[in-house]
Amino acid sequence: MRILVICLILLLAILHQDWWWWEAKEPLVFGFMPIGLAWHAGISLAAGLVGLVAVMFCWPDHLDNEEEEEAGAETEKEEAT
Amino acid sequence: MSFTIILCYLALLLFLGVFAGRLLKKNSGDFFLASRGIGPFMLLMSVFGTTMTAFALIGSTGKTFAFGIGVYGLMASWSGIIHAAIFFLIGAKVWALGKKHGYVTQLSYFRDRYQSDALVLLLFPLVVSFVILYLLIGVIGAGRFIEGVTPETFSESAVVTTVPLAAAPADLKIPEDWKDRVSIKNGELSVSGSLHPKRKGLFMKLSKAPEWKKAVGGLMNKAPRGAVPKPAGMAIVCLVVLFYVFFGGMRATAWANTMQTLVFMVMGLIAFYVITDELGGPVAASKKLLANEGKNSVMAREGLIGKWQFLTYCFIPLSVGMFPHLFQHWLTAKKASNFKLTVVAHPICILITWVPCVLLGMWAFGILPDGTNPNAVLGMMVARYSGEVLAGLIGAGVLAAIMSSMDSQFLCLSSLFTNDIVSHHFGKGEISDEKKILLGRGFVVAIVLVCYLIGLSNTQSVFDLGVWCFTGFAGLFPILFAALYWKRSNKQGAIAGVLTLAVLETTGYLLSLSVHEGEFLILGMMPVAFIVTITTAVMVIVTLLTPPPSDELVEKFFPAKN
Repeated sequence: MRILVICLILLLAILHQDWWWWEAKEPLVFGFMPIGLAWHAGISLAAGLVGLVAVMFCWPDHLDNEEEEEAGAETEKEEAT
Repeated sequence: MSFTIILCYLALLLFLGVFAGRLLKKNSGDFFLASRGIGPFMLLMSVFGTTMTAFALIGSTGKTFAFGIGVYGLMASWSGIIHAAIFFLIGAKVWALGKKHGYVTQLSYFRDRYQSDALVLLLFPLVVSFVILYLLIGVIGAGRFIEGVTPETFSESAVVTTVPLAAAPADLKIPEDWKDRVSIKNGELSVSGSLHPKRKGLFMKLSKAPEWKKAVGGLMNKAPRGAVPKPAGMAIVCLVVLFYVFFGGMRATAWANTMQTLVFMVMGLIAFYVITDELGGPVAASKKLLANEGKNSVMAREGLIGKWQFLTYCFIPLSVGMFPHLFQHWLTAKKASNFKLTVVAHPICILITWVPCVLLGMWAFGILPDGTNPNAVLGMMVARYSGEVLAGLIGAGVLAAIMSSMDSQFLCLSSLFTNDIVSHHFGKGEISDEKKILLGRGFVVAIVLVCYLIGLSNTQSVFDLGVWCFTGFAGLFPILFAALYWKRSNKQGAIAGVLTLAVLETTGYLLSLSVHEGEFLILGMMPVAFIVTITTAVMVIVTLLTPPPSDELVEKFFPAKN
C-alpha cells in the first residue's frame, strides 16, 4: 500500500505539469472556471484524497502505540511502588 | 465604519488572550507547548493559519491580476501536495521524537540528533533572521493595510501641507465643507490635516486644469497619510499579538489561530459571494472576460509564467518543513494520530481559500485599469462592489491571516532564545520555569521593537528580501529530512549543508539585485531548485567522507523495531 501511495503522489506531481492546458482558456468548467484553474483545483482535491488513502492505510500507528505503552509502563511502576 | 469593525475584532483577540491567560499553568511546558494537549481540529487550524499569511487573500488576488490563473498551480496546488506530504512524513515523526525526548524547539532536536552545539549556534542566527524577515512582511503588511482601510479625506492633524500653485483655476469648485481646510493664496495651495492617497481622485475632479492636477499630485505625496498612519497600524497589531501571546502563551496562540483561520476563510468566501453577485454571477463575469480579446490572457498561462518556473516552484513549499514556528505547533499535538486530519484537509483548505481569490483577481483584470498596484486589487474590488461593513469584515479577515502567522513567530523566537541559547549555554538547566517565561517575553519585546523600527524605514527592500526567507528555509529542509530518515547522516554533513546554504543564499540575493523587472530566475528556473540541490549534494558528500555517528546515537533515534 505504501508503494501505491508513493506512486499516487508521483502521479499527482506529473499531472501538476499540465503543459497541455498551457494556452487553453476554454472550456469554462461549471461555466466560469478556466480549464487550467479547474484542473489545479482538481489536483488539490486529489491531494486531499491521496492524503486520506495514506492516513487510512499507511499511518505509522506505532507512534501512538509507543506512547500508550510508555504511559502504561509508568502507571504499572507507580502502582508497584 | 470599517476601522470600527477592525477595532472590535482586535478587542475580541485581547479578550481571548486574557481568557487563555487565566487557564495558563505556571510552567514553561504550558507556555511554549500548551502542555502538548492540542486536538485534531485546532491542530489543523493552527497549522493552516500559520502557513497562510496575508498573501492568501491579498497576494493571491494581486498575483493573479499580474500573472493570470497559473498562480494557483504555481503556489496553491504545489503547496497542497507538498505540505500534506511533509505533515505526514515529518510532522508526526517530529511530534513522536519531541514527546519522547522532551523537545520544545526545532533547534533542541538538532542539537540532540547531531550532538553539536556548533550546528545550533550556526542555525540560530540564520533561522532567527529568516523568521524576522517573515515577521516583517506581516508587520509592514498590517500597517499598510490598516492605513488603506482608513482613507478619511481629512483626519485630525495639525500639519499644514503646501505646494506651489500660481492661482486658482477658473473652473475650480471647492466643496463648502472643505473651505476651512483648503486655501489658495500667495502662489500656494495649502491643506490642513492628513490626506489619504485613495482620496486623490476627489481632489483631481475639482478642476480640469493641468496645473491643478500637478499641484494635487504634489500635495498627495507630501501630506501625512490616512487616519491611522502606517506606524500606528503596525504598533496596534504588534501590541495586540504581543498581548495575547504574553498572557496566554501557546494556548492563546492556538485558540487565536483557530478563530483567525476561520475568520479569514469565511471572510474570503463572503467577499467572493458579494462581489460575484454584483458582477452578475460567476458565469456572466467569466464570459464577459473571455469575450474581451485584449484582457483574457489572464485565463491561461502562456506568456505569463514559464514552464520550468512552474515545475521548479515545487521546491518553495519545502520551506514549511523548516519553519521553526510550525515545528513548535507540531509539538503541541496531543497524539500523533491528530495529524491525520491536517494531512487530509490542508489541501482542501487551500482550495477553499485560494480559488475564490484567484477568480476575483482574474475578473478584476478585465475591470480595473492596467498598471493598478496588484496588492491593491482586492481592496479596490471590495471598495467598488461592497459597502463599508463588508470592507471592515474583509479587513478583519486580512488582519486575521497576518496575525495568525505573527503570533506563532513571536512565540517561537521566544522559545528558541530561552531554551536553546540562555537556558542551554548560561543557565545549564538551573533557570526556573518562571524565569524562562520572563526571559522569553523580554526577548519577544526586543524582537518586536527591532521589527517595528525596521518597518518604519525602507520597506520595499524588506519585501524583496522576504522571498529569500522561503528559499532559505527550503534550502535547510534536506538537513531535517536527513536527520529524520538517514541513519548515516552526521554533524559534519549537516554543518557543511548549513554553511553552503548561507553562502548560496547570500550570493543568490546579491545576484537578484541586478534584476529590476520580473522574477529572478536561473535558466528559467527558480533559484531555490539549485540551492536545495547543491546543499543536498554537499551534505551527502561531506557525510560520506566523515565518520558515521556512534551506534548509541543511531539506536536512540532509529531504535530497532521488535
